[in-house]
Amino acid sequence: MACTHDHSCEDHDCSSDWSLYKHIDLAKVSALNEAVPGSVKSVFKAWEHRLNFSGELLQSNDGDSELLVYVPFTSDVKIKSISIVGGPERTSPSRMRAFINREGMDFSDAQDMQAVQEWELVENLQGVLEYQTRYAKFQGVSSITLHFPDNLGGDTTQIHYIGFKGEATKLKRDTVATIVYELRPNPSDHKTKAETGGGLSNVG
Amino acid sequence: MVLEATMICIDNSEWMRNGDYTPSRFQAQADAVNLICGAKTQSNPENTVGILTMAGKGVRVLTTPTTDLGKLLACMHGLEMGGEMNIASAIQIAQLALKHRQNKNQRQRIIVFAGSPIKYDKKMLESIGKKLKKSSVSLDIVDFGEEDEGKPEKLEALLTAVNNNDSSHIVHIPPGPNALSDVLISTPVFTGDGEGGSGFVAAGPVAVSDFDFGVDPNIDPELALALRVSMEEERARQEAAAKRAAEEGSSQNKGDEQSSKSQDTTMADTTGATAATDAAEPMSEVDALLQQAIALSMQTPASDSAVRDTDMSEANNEDQDLAAALQMSMQEGEKDSAGQMDMSEVLEDQAFVSSVLASLPGVDPNDPSVKDLLASLHGKSESADQKKDEEKAPKDDEK
Repeated sequence: MACTHDHSCEDHDCSSDWSLYKHIDLAKVSALNEAVPGSVKSVFKAWEHRLNFSGELLQSNDGDSELLVYVPFTSDVKIKSISIVGGPERTSPSRMRAFINREGMDFSDAQDMQAVQEWELVENLQGVLEYQTRYAKFQGVSSITLHFPDNLGGDTTQIHYIGFKGEATKLKRDTVATIVYELRPNPSDHKTKAETGGGLSNVG
Repeated sequence: MVLEATMICIDNSEWMRNGDYTPSRFQAQADAVNLICGAKTQSNPENTVGILTMAGKGVRVLTTPTTDLGKLLACMHGLEMGGEMNIASAIQIAQLALKHRQNKNQRQRIIVFAGSPIKYDKKMLESIGKKLKKSSVSLDIVDFGEEDEGKPEKLEALLTAVNNNDSSHIVHIPPGPNALSDVLISTPVFTGDGEGGSGFVAAGPVAVSDFDFGVDPNIDPELALALRVSMEEERARQEAAAKRAAEEGSSQNKGDEQSSKSQDTTMADTTGATAATDAAEPMSEVDALLQQAIALSMQTPASDSAVRDTDMSEANNEDQDLAAALQMSMQEGEKDSAGQMDMSEVLEDQAFVSSVLASLPGVDPNDPSVKDLLASLHGKSESADQKKDEEKAPKDDEK
């Protein structure tokens, strides 16, 4: 199995590089125009299983080759490159457009908006190709939306594997999780500087 | 309990003036819409519902998806009929309204009330359906009103184009005696995809109680179990009491009031036959007391008329007496003597009770539910069993 690294694979484990799938919030992964609802979750797996064509795959509806995949992460990640393994016989996607940190996109949004980055894809049935990102733009990624507008000519689009290479930070983007509202202030919570004995006043 | 944003498309075209659904198609539709709004908002508090009209001067959105049920019901007022239904643009506008919902986590659903003929062809509807499927919008179609040829096929074609994993449904409702909303309640339009809605269904006018005691074991297993256990306990106690009463009653019912007595014995015999063999412990004191009680009750039929005159006026008093009897039976560790004293008082009350029951029209003292009611007043103690014997004997006499 050839890798695109410049070293031989025996003393380097590729799968550890492609381990960002562990930071994907699988429960919230969703796709639009998938033939089988929920099948999108099966494309996020370990590097070793990326060529496992026997299991479930992500397939678009018949006659319509567009796919929109929404991938949220459990913590902010930096994505260095993306690998896509499509399906045989021209069902692989031909283009990929990525959007960062946008929830609830649908096809009209995807078509109208400008993507953060776009790639031309080729058939990658061996799973050796990866598509590098402009790393500076993919620094604090809490969710990524991949739009596959068309394929190589087949009736439907099939995707067997989507892999992300990069590193995960422990940070989490935005959203205050819990807010406590007070009906009445509790004086003990609000110690003034005078009480704590700090700070000199410049008055007088 | 699925989190959903729903857009309801109402047909307010001229065809809705027809009266083949009571009171009119439009009114039946409005009732159904009100019920759906209630069901959706009840099944999940974060559900939103919006309404738009398909006919009139053009497709008009009355409310964007909101959780406020009052607003939804209010905007159903003052709607006017006219024009023709435009189903294609209505569905597209509904889709647009759903796209701009505030909570993107909600699923999208459109409910269409198709009451007038459809002027679009099948291909157009199928392409609309495919677009809905692509954006994962579910569609429920209510086919009612005008029965156009080709209309059911067109709507079925639309449904198959949209349907993704059975999340979309179609309901055909021909005109008939049942109200539109009643028919709709039992359909998946109301109950969702098999989940949720069952709580609302039970509360609705057509309560579907396929379960014992009207309680769904899935919804409230503890309540269903408690009801079942108490029912069985009652049954067991009653059978024991009936058996004892049969023994006592058959010995006491000699040479007294004629036909009723013979019926009593037959009834006592039958109850004795059906009673489960139980460990009845007749004590000598109890026997003496029983005979006393039965003698007392024998006297009351003689003064029947007087008793019956005062029956209704004493009904309220009976309740208090019954409550007193209940309290007495609930107290454990009651001394026998005291119990006996109380029991003789209660006895007379019981005689009154049974005479009241006999005099009330439509109440058959032998009705099991009546027996249950009386039996349930006596709790679990032995004194309770005795009371039941006494009240059964006078009841038999009263027959």
